[in-house]
Amino acid sequence: MTLFTMAVVTGLALGSIYGLIALGFQITYSVSGTVNFAQGSVVMLGAVSGYMIYQVSGDMPWIAYPLALLVCGIAGAVIEAVLVRPFAKRGNEGWLMATVAGGILLDNTALFTFGNEPRTFPSSLVNDTVQIANVGLYPLQLVIPLVTLSIAIILHVLFRRTQQGTALLAVVQNASAASLMGINTQRMITASYVLSGMLAGLAGLLIAPLASVHSEMGVLFGLKAFAVAILGGMTSASGIMVAGLIYGITEALVTSYFGSSFTSIVVFAAVIAILVLKPNGLFGRSGVNKV
Amino acid sequence: MCNTSDRHTERRQLPVSRAFGTMALAAFMFFAGSASAQESIKIGLVAALSGQSAKSGEAITRGLTIAIDEINARGGVLGKPIELISRDDESNPGKGLTAARELVQREGVAAIIGGLDTPVSFAIVPFANQMKVPFVGPWAAGTGITFNGAEENYIFRVSAVDEYVDEAITEYLITRYGAKKPGMILINNPWGESNEKGLTKALEKRNMDHAGIEKFESTDIDVTPQLTRLKNAGADSLFLVANVAPSAQVVKSLDRMGWDVPIASHWGPAGGRFTELAGPSGEKVHFIQTYSFTGELNAKGQAVLDALQERFPEIKSIADVTPAVGIANAYDAMLLLSAAIEKAGSTDGPAIRQAMYDIENIEGLIKTYTDPFSPDNQDALGPEDYIFTNFVNGEILPLDF
Amino acid sequence: MTQHHRAPLLSSPNVQVPVLLGSLLLGAIALALAASSGYTHFVISLVAISTITGVGLNILYGLTGMISFGHIAFQAIGAYTCAILMLNDASFLIALLVSAALTGLAGLLLALPAVRVAGPFLAMVTIAFFFVIEHGIIEWRSLTGGQNGLFGFPPVSIAGYTLSERDLSIFASCCAFLSLFAFHRISRSGWGLAMKGVRDAEIASSSLGLNTRNVKIMAFGLSAVFAGIAGAIYTPLIMFIAPSNFPFSDSILALFAVILGGTGATLGPLLGSFVTVMLPELLSELAQYRLLFFGALMLAVLLIAPSGVSGLLARLLPKSLPVFDEPDADTASRWLSNAVAAQDLTVKQVCIAFGGLQAVDNVSFVARSGKILSVIGPNGAGKTTVLNMVSGFYKPDTGEVCIQGCDIAGQPAHSVSQRGIARTYQTTRLYEKLTVLENVFSGLQHGKLGKPFESLDTQSRTQLAIGLLRYSGYRGNPDVLAGSLPHVDRRFVEIARALATAPSVLLLDEPAAGLMRADKEQLAHTLKDIASLGISVLLVEHDMTLVMGISDDILVLDAGKPIAFGVPEAVRQNPQVLAAYLGNADFSAPARATTLPTDAETLMSIRHLSAGYGAAPVLHKVSFDILQGELIAILGANGAGKSTLMSTLSGMLRISSGEIILKNQPVQNLPAHDMVAHGLVLVPEGRQVFPELSVLQNIKLGAYKRKDSVAQAELEGILNRFPRLKDRLHNRAGLLSGGEQQMLAIARGLMAKPDILLLDEPSLGLAPSMVAELYLILARLRDDGVTILLVDQVATLALDIADRAYVMEQGAIVAQGSSESIRQDKMLASAYLGAA
Repeated sequence: MTLFTMAVVTGLALGSIYGLIALGFQITYSVSGTVNFAQGSVVMLGAVSGYMIYQVSGDMPWIAYPLALLVCGIAGAVIEAVLVRPFAKRGNEGWLMATVAGGILLDNTALFTFGNEPRTFPSSLVNDTVQIANVGLYPLQLVIPLVTLSIAIILHVLFRRTQQGTALLAVVQNASAASLMGINTQRMITASYVLSGMLAGLAGLLIAPLASVHSEMGVLFGLKAFAVAILGGMTSASGIMVAGLIYGITEALVTSYFGSSFTSIVVFAAVIAILVLKPNGLFGRSGVNKV
Repeated sequence: MCNTSDRHTERRQLPVSRAFGTMALAAFMFFAGSASAQESIKIGLVAALSGQSAKSGEAITRGLTIAIDEINARGGVLGKPIELISRDDESNPGKGLTAARELVQREGVAAIIGGLDTPVSFAIVPFANQMKVPFVGPWAAGTGITFNGAEENYIFRVSAVDEYVDEAITEYLITRYGAKKPGMILINNPWGESNEKGLTKALEKRNMDHAGIEKFESTDIDVTPQLTRLKNAGADSLFLVANVAPSAQVVKSLDRMGWDVPIASHWGPAGGRFTELAGPSGEKVHFIQTYSFTGELNAKGQAVLDALQERFPEIKSIADVTPAVGIANAYDAMLLLSAAIEKAGSTDGPAIRQAMYDIENIEGLIKTYTDPFSPDNQDALGPEDYIFTNFVNGEILPLDF
Repeated sequence: MTQHHRAPLLSSPNVQVPVLLGSLLLGAIALALAASSGYTHFVISLVAISTITGVGLNILYGLTGMISFGHIAFQAIGAYTCAILMLNDASFLIALLVSAALTGLAGLLLALPAVRVAGPFLAMVTIAFFFVIEHGIIEWRSLTGGQNGLFGFPPVSIAGYTLSERDLSIFASCCAFLSLFAFHRISRSGWGLAMKGVRDAEIASSSLGLNTRNVKIMAFGLSAVFAGIAGAIYTPLIMFIAPSNFPFSDSILALFAVILGGTGATLGPLLGSFVTVMLPELLSELAQYRLLFFGALMLAVLLIAPSGVSGLLARLLPKSLPVFDEPDADTASRWLSNAVAAQDLTVKQVCIAFGGLQAVDNVSFVARSGKILSVIGPNGAGKTTVLNMVSGFYKPDTGEVCIQGCDIAGQPAHSVSQRGIARTYQTTRLYEKLTVLENVFSGLQHGKLGKPFESLDTQSRTQLAIGLLRYSGYRGNPDVLAGSLPHVDRRFVEIARALATAPSVLLLDEPAAGLMRADKEQLAHTLKDIASLGISVLLVEHDMTLVMGISDDILVLDAGKPIAFGVPEAVRQNPQVLAAYLGNADFSAPARATTLPTDAETLMSIRHLSAGYGAAPVLHKVSFDILQGELIAILGANGAGKSTLMSTLSGMLRISSGEIILKNQPVQNLPAHDMVAHGLVLVPEGRQVFPELSVLQNIKLGAYKRKDSVAQAELEGILNRFPRLKDRLHNRAGLLSGGEQQMLAIARGLMAKPDILLLDEPSLGLAPSMVAELYLILARLRDDGVTILLVDQVATLALDIADRAYVMEQGAIVAQGSSESIRQDKMLASAYLGAA
């Protein structure tokens, strides 16, 4: 039972992180039909810039966190303007390779500015463990799902209650009609990338105290989050959060019961199998076949 | 396509042939290589300088640099300064072999140092033997690298050997803790796998059972599922093989589980910031070392440390001198190699190899090497050079054993 | 990746490619022989291996348009297979062949899930495949040696001769150039054509009889075979095989090599590999900064030279188009009359509903061999839906579609095509990146792939294709890219392509849309000719002059129901048909009670406005004024340019010349979202409410550009105009009925407090009672002083409430005046139903 509880708790925290990053994929994909394959690198950027600001500011998390998010938001905007828009305008898929290249650039720039040694991101939430149901946990492991849930709720509310939020939804649902309302769709696409970058950065900041901060920490997070976004169907935010949890918990359960040798094989084979059965993901809607 | 297009052929070929001509010229210039006059003795370095192993690659580079500075200050070797030519292998054996070939066949290096990752070394070994170019490994511990079965073996190593290490840490767990059923928690990479073999062999030799072999990825942030499996299988002690950050994850996961279990580890945790990453429980990990800059240093150690700080201003504290084994192994390897070249009197591969067997009394960081190599033993370090250490207040200190 | 210009030498079939390949191979061999350094041989081999993998990716990505981020996994499978066989004393050649076969099999297996998905989903499947293979290799230790890999292979020998490094590099080069040559042949063959067709227009391919799923599976398998061969050669070259030889990043690199060399170009993989292999070697001095530099280079190439090196080289070439011998004038008709099997198409009582809307309701007809049957009706009548059911894209809920005595309803499009039914599309679906000639070839193939290495462009086939093009009315060069054609030529080429399948039945969806009068006459002539060959022609068309001129029978649909059937003259006189087009006399909306003040100011002036889509101009020098407070109606048949006018005025479409002056300010070419701030709001055709937002949110979005906040009183004022919306304020807009959505769209538009409101087809698809309600509301808006520009199919109603009206035909204004005078004008009826 402990094994099971442990796996679920582990899976919840990791799954929430995947979900948070995947939400970034969903937002840009919904608004612009493009995704940022350097999303994992932005996760890293969140953690690395947070760490560096934290050091410079003299251990002041309340400066470091917002500034790191700002950095990631700006990174999102730059990625959109330089790596995505030129290609989207030409109507080709060049953004796909361009964002991959952007990721290589970001990772390697971090390697030479931040350094090649993993560092610990200080957080009072991992200093002690708490015992819950015979399972030792860092408070952060409980905080992560809560923060993620709050973010999801806040986003939900923002999108539905604020004018800019509904405007973004309007662009998602019908971009040309939205522009007839006076909504600048290009600005909304930029906004979606800023938001996506900030979500990735937040994920980086949240996970950093549990993991360690280094220049390549984002790669696998980015790939797994992409799998989550795909499983969630790319367009449904709630579907993606659920897919994130399913993914995280499955990963932990497979490791717990079958050993870690098979985790990657089982999980990625499952991704393929699910897409065979549901080509639009678990929660995606099938598009109408327009002729 | 049609009979008329032939007419255009001639006209079109002009610019095309010009374009391909440019390409051919580029290719020629490329293959012609840098045929500069031999004013220095070139030593090649093939190591992972980017990616996850970049820190270790940097340590090796630093160790070599300090040694070369020292040698060149003394007037070099054979009256010529030593020049280090570095190549990044990205931890990819194919890239490593390409780099080794480029160093040997284009740059004309006298010897190669490197191979951080065991597979990269494996890829270079047959080539080095075939080309009769000495290849000195300051890091990769895969047993088969030096025990490669070649009749004329050009592969030398100044580093630990997995099989010896595994034997040593098995013995350590048994004699010190009376371990009966150890569990293995290994990083899922070639290094982990090589030690899985070594550890299994060491246990088999003693007719002992293990509680399980668990692997984890260097990016895993929670190893509790794997550790819980070992615990449930009745593990009374743990073998740990992983680099600094993943080792720290194991320690943190053990903390969370509240499982206090003896851990004997390969040298992975020897990075200067292990306890920063793992927290105070990091001190519970007992790991093997060939060298450490902490504690009381002898004259040689102090001199190298000072040189390091002078040459690399980014080194601010002892915690930045990391991983120490990389620096020390590389430093010693360079000293041994230069001694051999001096002795051989040429940069001819077979001559250097022969001289490697003849060098004696070289004062290195780790020890003074008397007769370090012989055709039967291509490893300069053996089990007698391993010490067990742990972190105490951020310093690596030897354990009484 | 889109390549707008053409690379004649490097991306299209050309006789000199084999010569060029041969000389390059000789060059590589010469280099290998001349070089003394093993490093040179090694690098030649690396370029060759990368080229072979690149050829595979070029088949998948370049020809078929499917992306793979996991291709290195195929190379790994090939390398391991070869390694294991060589360790078991198999000869290298056998090992190579088995590797290729096994990897091909793996490719086919991956294709089964992969062809079901597209875009990012496909990317994910290939990524997942990579990880499954990578970890599979790591874990299957007894076979693969695990993380520490396999080594100690015997030296490569072929027929007893042991290969040196130099020999191996020559062998690898030969394999690479054989691969390039194979690609060259495949891309010119029926296989390549089928793949490119799937890439450019999958739907069109299936209606040309191609089983697109099989083509994609085949492309995946073939692509994997090349990667497998590359892997098999990699093994003896490196002499050590471990999982870390095949990192994920190498998949990206392989893809990059293809893009860098020029996606789809024969020499692309070679050029790309040359750069991706050699450049890191040249940059090796940079050591750890190499990847940084490489990432930057990758980006620079994508941004600056998206068509790759071969695209750059192609720019150096003089552009000259080959000249073709013109075939005999009757080539096509002779061939068609032999090839076509005369068949009637019988449609019996077909029905189909989409989400509660009965799109087609109990429609029956017989398209007789040798006759032209036209299906007409107002917008939304279900005409195209009928075509889609006949051609296999929709499965009718009930009813039969019979040809040759068989019911083919619900069969996939490619089977329907094989039954002898061909079609064209409302917006042409040509293979944009193929030449006109290749477009017709794909019709001639009619779903057959032919031999994989046999070129299609034989003399006789080329002559026939050109004959068909000329027969269909295309007069231009057959060797230009279809994507560069003007609108009219696209229509003609699409017809030629459909005819090339030698169909019994030809379905045409609005072939005359966007054509000029002279072209329409040409089209009419062609269609009559086609029918005279015994083909049943089924025509959906809005141009009544054309329809009335050439049809043998006409079927009129309204709201999915057949309302009339008969010869043109009878249909034209049918009062039901007139009512369907011009509106019913049952209801009339109230005219303005008090006359408009004569001194009203001009609010908006349109001066010599011309605009259109791409190469096809739709509006020709349209000019008119709108006075403050006026309600102006724009009338005209479908395709007259009314909606284009509305799009242009609202900034959705760029104008090509002319002026739009709003409140004394020129506003032409402002983006749509800025037009709102200038006081012009369009309520678009089809309502276009935001379906997932609530009614209230939709309404509030209308005020997005306003600086003041929306007072409750104002909201209530709006809701009082549209009482139906009041109860549904918090419902999702997508759940509203069509009429309610139209109300919402207008309410939303009014929230912007526009100076002028543009309404595009507000009554389209609404129930009559709803239309009445809507028009009462519009009349009230007018009376309250809102300036309105109204486009509506239902001319009588629009005239009821309008102050003035303009009649459009062929993108120009042909009549104007007060509503009364227009109502009496004969131009109106003829604009809708053609001149009598």
